[in-house]
Amino acid sequence: MKRTIPLLIVIILGFLFVAYVFIPHKVSADFYDWYMKWIKVIGPFAVVLGVGSLIMVHTSKIKRKAPNWGYSMVTIVALVITTLTGFIWGIQEGTPFMWIFKNFNVPMGATMFSLLAFYIASAAYKAFRARSVEATVLLIAAIIVMLGRVSIGQAITHWIPDATEWILNVPNLAAKRGIGLGVGLGMTATSLKIILGIERSYLGGGK
Amino acid sequence: MRFSESLQKLDRRYIYIVVALAVIIPLIFPLGLKTYTTTPVEDLYRHIDAIAGRDDKAILIDFYHDPSVMPELYPMEIALIRHCFIRKIKLFTISFWPTGAPIIEMALSEVKEDFPDIKANVDYCNFGFKPNALTIPIILGMGDDIAKAVETNSEGSKLEDLPIMKNIKNYDNIQIVMQISGSTSGYLWYTYARPRFGVDVGVGVTAVMAADTYPFLQTGQLLGSMGGLKGAAEYEKLVDIFAMKGLDYSKKKARDIAWGSKQYSLSNIPYKYKKARIGMDAQAVVHVLIILFIVIGNIGYFLDKRAEKRKYVK
Repeated sequence: MKRTIPLLIVIILGFLFVAYVFIPHKVSADFYDWYMKWIKVIGPFAVVLGVGSLIMVHTSKIKRKAPNWGYSMVTIVALVITTLTGFIWGIQEGTPFMWIFKNFNVPMGATMFSLLAFYIASAAYKAFRARSVEATVLLIAAIIVMLGRVSIGQAITHWIPDATEWILNVPNLAAKRGIGLGVGLGMTATSLKIILGIERSYLGGGK
Repeated sequence: MRFSESLQKLDRRYIYIVVALAVIIPLIFPLGLKTYTTTPVEDLYRHIDAIAGRDDKAILIDFYHDPSVMPELYPMEIALIRHCFIRKIKLFTISFWPTGAPIIEMALSEVKEDFPDIKANVDYCNFGFKPNALTIPIILGMGDDIAKAVETNSEGSKLEDLPIMKNIKNYDNIQIVMQISGSTSGYLWYTYARPRFGVDVGVGVTAVMAADTYPFLQTGQLLGSMGGLKGAAEYEKLVDIFAMKGLDYSKKKARDIAWGSKQYSLSNIPYKYKKARIGMDAQAVVHVLIILFIVIGNIGYFLDKRAEKRKYVK
């Protein structure tokens, strides 16, 4: 029963949505309007589920004094304080919530992302070696694009930004489109398998 | 350790220190390198500028990112908002990310400081945060009626009662949807809104994602794009060249100023409106530095290879 009912929901709704897209009729349009109302109700439950799960995971870590339980404490405290400030004073400019956002979220988020520059520099130095013809082509393309995306490339010669545009517009575009088509076909095949009940791993519980 | 080996095995801590200096020094002492405008950014500017002063058209900016990518994306948002405020272009903002909503507040208030005559819900309207689960219902619903699909603005006021909504009904009144994102290049908008309702879509994305936009630019699914800090710098420059002087866009003039030999002075421009162009100085230096590291590593590799070959011949 635990598996049959979710499976039936997926199969029935899967076929209904396919019908909605391919059969432009009042019945299918009405069905979609009805679904839209439902999704507005169901959506917020995910927040309750998410917050509940976060609290359960971290409180259990704190209780057990699991390794790095201090981080869990910080998470819970941050969650409570941010939520309370948002509920009490609102989230507009000039409120404590906005102060927390500007002075914690923004600098911490930007710091994490900017670490990429250091890793990329180190990885490029270690990995980019002209070991084969393919690696050399990749190396040259990377150098042209790196120069062409900054003004120094244009200052050297206008051929560099022109070559950069060509690399992005021709070989890059061809590869991206090929990958995109492959991913699209893969998604279609997987979706069909799910709708037809062949692929059931999303139900969990092993085989 | 042989010299060729040492060239290939530089301690990563030295690399990090050099990269840090290469970023920090140009930010403190800007080099004033030129910004060259490119077609995808010029197309965006021209398309948005075409509705200057019109009451029946607006643009919508979707802030689809969190603070981690703000250094690259925030200058784009500032430049777009500034363009709209200068040229009296109706502006809507929305975010389907909880952490995107405060970024809208920050950006609007930062630009609004310089435009006291611009009024909320009259010249611009912030739809605020809408739950991610409602993304597709809202995107599709806006094709019929924006006020019904979005329902309320960030302050909870009914959209249908707001003065800005006069003459604005659905996507027919939206000149372009701009998605500023660090994770997707306008995917939901050009998959659901464009084919069904014909609305134009543009994107502002991080530099690492810029390559993803090219297939969609070629097909016209994306009207234009801003890629990384460079895209933001270009848009900042176009706003300075045209909007600030009350001029209509001209590709020739844009190229003459941006690509000509004369440097465009940044001295009279407030820091917040030239952040991307200053940042590009640091990016240019770091790009050259990475190329140097790659060259050093390869010199070491070939010296090593040659030495081994000689050893083998002996």
